[in-house]
Amino acid sequence: MLRSLALSNVFRLLEKAPSFGAVIGVTVMLIAFTLVDFSGWWTKQTISNVVHFTSLLAILAMGQALVILSKEIDLSVGAVYGLTGISFIYLQPILGVPGSVIGSLAIAMLCGWVQGFAVVKGKLPSMIVTLGGLFAFRGIIYVLTGGSVHSFPVEAQNHWLTQLLGGEFMGIKGAIIWMLLVLLILSALLWTTRFGNRLLATGGNADSALSRGIRTDRVKIAAFILCACLAGFSGILTLADEPQTHVTIGELLELDAIAAAVIGGCLLTGGRGSLVGAVLGALILVSFRYELIALGAPSSWYISFVGALLIASVIFNQWLARGGGLWLIQGK
Amino acid sequence: MKVLRAALIGAAAAVIAFAVTTAYAQDKKYRFVMVSHIGSNDANMGWLTESLKTFEEKYPDVKTEYISTNNYSVQEHVRLLEQAISTKPDGIAVPIVDSDAFEGPLRKAIDMGIPVVAFNIPDSRPEGERIPYLTYVGGDEYLTGKRLGEYALQQVEAGAIPKPTGVVCAVHDAAHQGLKKRCAGMKDAMEKTGAKFEELFIGAEPAQARTALQSFLSANKDTNYIFSVAGWSSPWVWGVANDMGLKPDVDKEGVTVLTVDEAPVSIEGVRAGHVLASNSQGFWLQGYAPMEWLYWYHTLGYRPNSDILTGPIIINKDNADKWAALVRGVFGDKAYDEQNTWK
Repeated sequence: MLRSLALSNVFRLLEKAPSFGAVIGVTVMLIAFTLVDFSGWWTKQTISNVVHFTSLLAILAMGQALVILSKEIDLSVGAVYGLTGISFIYLQPILGVPGSVIGSLAIAMLCGWVQGFAVVKGKLPSMIVTLGGLFAFRGIIYVLTGGSVHSFPVEAQNHWLTQLLGGEFMGIKGAIIWMLLVLLILSALLWTTRFGNRLLATGGNADSALSRGIRTDRVKIAAFILCACLAGFSGILTLADEPQTHVTIGELLELDAIAAAVIGGCLLTGGRGSLVGAVLGALILVSFRYELIALGAPSSWYISFVGALLIASVIFNQWLARGGGLWLIQGK
Repeated sequence: MKVLRAALIGAAAAVIAFAVTTAYAQDKKYRFVMVSHIGSNDANMGWLTESLKTFEEKYPDVKTEYISTNNYSVQEHVRLLEQAISTKPDGIAVPIVDSDAFEGPLRKAIDMGIPVVAFNIPDSRPEGERIPYLTYVGGDEYLTGKRLGEYALQQVEAGAIPKPTGVVCAVHDAAHQGLKKRCAGMKDAMEKTGAKFEELFIGAEPAQARTALQSFLSANKDTNYIFSVAGWSSPWVWGVANDMGLKPDVDKEGVTVLTVDEAPVSIEGVRAGHVLASNSQGFWLQGYAPMEWLYWYHTLGYRPNSDILTGPIIINKDNADKWAALVRGVFGDKAYDEQNTWK
């Protein structure tokens, strides 16, 4: 009886955590992969590859989570990821590696500011504004590159900053360490600062936030700028590691980023979500894609799988929010 | 007298009318439109636009127009085609990306007296069922894969590369029938060796494509041939295999990479010894020849008796230097070097 009470209290606490669904998802996934493909899944190479790409997607997903927390959405992150990455390569001959990192991140932030400003000041739906952004930024990539992306000079590849962003540290890919750093910093920003409080309040109930003197317009614009900056940073990390790319860079990544954030427990109604959940959501997406291919399923099934997983996770997260966790313990 | 005067005036009027008509006919600018699926997001557009420029220099009485979109969809392509037809050009060159979708507009154009030449992608249905265009000018996607596969097997016999045990065809667009045909050609060429053949959809996004291929190669250790059906994805393919320690350079061990296109990245891959071979489907000719046939149709009444294949031509270590020189001539040294992403 006491044990049951203790467990139900634990579940009550856990189910309040937005990332609880993603934690269960990852657990179930790892058990399933272990049972189905133990020798294929638990190898250094597989885990290293999965975690590496998860890190790149997770940075995008965390930015997306911030925007979703503010009750908006950003469909342009894939294009911003691409545009920033391409700018990093194209600005390098003019500004050098440090200058091109700063310049391309500035471009990303400008993209975020323009869209945030249009959403807030123009009172336009973020879905439409960022859809426009997606097309516009992708178009700029096409115009800028003329269909093929330049090479990144060897000396720039060997630059200390490129190595710091895209290299390896004690056998661990730089992107993984950067993702963990971003997660730490953003978590601190979200849960311990006034800005984080205001962001959650803005997404939770904008009228209430306004009545308490929160400048919700500024908060939302800041969320868009942060989101674009993170997308751009992920693009730079990708190309610092693997500079051979194409104009298709970042195509459809916005959908993966949104899916990761939603699977991770972000509610599109705003005010509720989790950065750890977004990272776990990214891990689920990348792992399933990897394992589907490894098990011999046609890789084009991945899109269908993401759709099914997205719907299932939304249902599961809502079920948990309604007390489904208790049902697991008490059977009611 | 009156009758004579009337006859003289009539004759003069007829002479003037004939002279005006003849002069007009001689000055007439034909307008040919190329409604392409290759937008400015694809470096291959340069081959086509450059060839149209050369054509206009040779035939100054013809104006050519190149129409395409970067956000490709069959619907968008059909919309562009219908717009082009409504301007009543003197000829249209178009790839038959989807024979069902293009049939209606093209039959309408042909009924209106607008001659049509298919380029790059033919109507693959049997002769009697296909859209009645003048001819097809372009490569053969199936032969592209088959000839590259056959070339690889010749190199196996010569002892230059390992015998295939597993072949993967890495495809970036799951809906592109031409890419599937390239894979089918490679499969047929490799079948006789008993090697396992797989088609893998890697997607066009570089990071995702790398992950997909990593996963496949990790799970399929017997795969030692990778056919990258786009030149621009060959450095990714090579990079993944290299990171996995699969020794992807062209030699007697490890993985062998094959790709397509006469793009700088493909040619330089061959020259650097990263890629065994690539191919040319004669892109420049695919722009120039349709225009010339449209012109000859109007001026001489010529109709080709068969399709005109402009490729595949194998690009290997023996002729890669010549191809590099040719492509440098089209793109220019700066653009060529910038597009070489192997460095």
